[in-house]
Amino acid sequence: MRCVAITPEKTVVDQEVEFIVLPLYDGEFGIGENRAPVVGRLGAGEMRLTLKGGSVERWWVEGGFVEVVDNATTLLANRVVELSSLTVEGAKEELRKALSRPSNTPELSKSKEGAVQRARTRLRYAEKIASAK
Amino acid sequence: MAKARALDKRRRSIANIRKITKTMELVSTAQFRRAMERAVAAGDYAERLARLVADLSNSGLEGASPLLAKRESKKRAILLVLTANRGMCGGYNSGVLRTATARLDELRAEYGEVELDVSGKRGISFLKYRSYEIARGFERFDHKPTYDQVLEIADDYLDRYATGEVDRIDVAYCKFGSLSKQFPVAETLLPFSETRDDSKGVSERSRTEYEFLPSPESVLEEVVPNAFRVNMFKRFLDAAVGEQIARMTAMKAATDNADSMISTLTATYNRARQSQITNEIIEVVSGASALK
Repeated sequence: MRCVAITPEKTVVDQEVEFIVLPLYDGEFGIGENRAPVVGRLGAGEMRLTLKGGSVERWWVEGGFVEVVDNATTLLANRVVELSSLTVEGAKEELRKALSRPSNTPELSKSKEGAVQRARTRLRYAEKIASAK
Repeated sequence: MAKARALDKRRRSIANIRKITKTMELVSTAQFRRAMERAVAAGDYAERLARLVADLSNSGLEGASPLLAKRESKKRAILLVLTANRGMCGGYNSGVLRTATARLDELRAEYGEVELDVSGKRGISFLKYRSYEIARGFERFDHKPTYDQVLEIADDYLDRYATGEVDRIDVAYCKFGSLSKQFPVAETLLPFSETRDDSKGVSERSRTEYEFLPSPESVLEEVVPNAFRVNMFKRFLDAAVGEQIARMTAMKAATDNADSMISTLTATYNRARQSQITNEIIEVVSGASALK
């Protein structure tokens, strides 16, 4: 099964994998061989790619979509970076920015809520990595 | 005929200028290649997104997002102008600015207020000089605009559009047609209905029945702002590519020009030097014969 992750800047991942776990909008989503065609809305979180040998690659994914068709999984994400490259400082900065956004109308408060949630998830993962090191 | 020494001095200074223009040509060639790769990557993303939108509309979903709806109110519009930070690129900046000012006048006639956002030092100083009021000026986009940088502006626009503060967002930039063809254009980014023609090129695929998670509406809710962000990012990249191409051509022309000037000056210099020597010989010979 092929897994391709594209951001507007470049193609980050393009390889053969055994199994994929993705963060969807409302929870994690696993994709195995011969999955029926699906289009999903991505959330923010960790993507785990189980490679042919059984080793696992971990990526940080943020916003966008995933499309599964004919044993090919394509991610169109706003951001895809290696999970280990997340830093606590960077995540805190992101959270601070998100929290300082205005929320005086329903639309703004909705987009702020999303940004804060994304930033919090990111911080959680960043802290997990930092403590594992 | 001018003095040989003065001619030699001019020739040397032109040779120095030639070195500079040649170097700039090489630098912009390298930057162009990198900018082009990025533009292709963003184009790839945009194309896949367009296919997704086509699949969505195949599943019978129409205009659920507020960004797709037509706006009746015409209170405020934004015009974003993308120019270069530096000159030495021929008619690149002036072309974009001419299109931008024309579009600005049109928007002013139609909307109550028009906000002018400008990227690039050249555009900022030109519009300031012409006493246009600039709401925001960006100088941080150079030959390599990153998605995160563009995202900041794009999200701000999206928020302001969603709250109804802004009713239309236009962008004036240099569109990339092919290597030998770039042209300044003004396009509408939002509302989307006016930019629909872009997706006409999407070929009909065999219909696949997709399952949508969590629901088609939710996916659409995310697709539309993403399409806007990518569209905007692509425009920044196009502008960067166009700038490098314009600079490459301008600097190539300047180098060629310097070459031909050097060869003319060399010919004149040799002639001047020769006539100077002839003169001196005549003086010596006539002096000698006068002494006889």
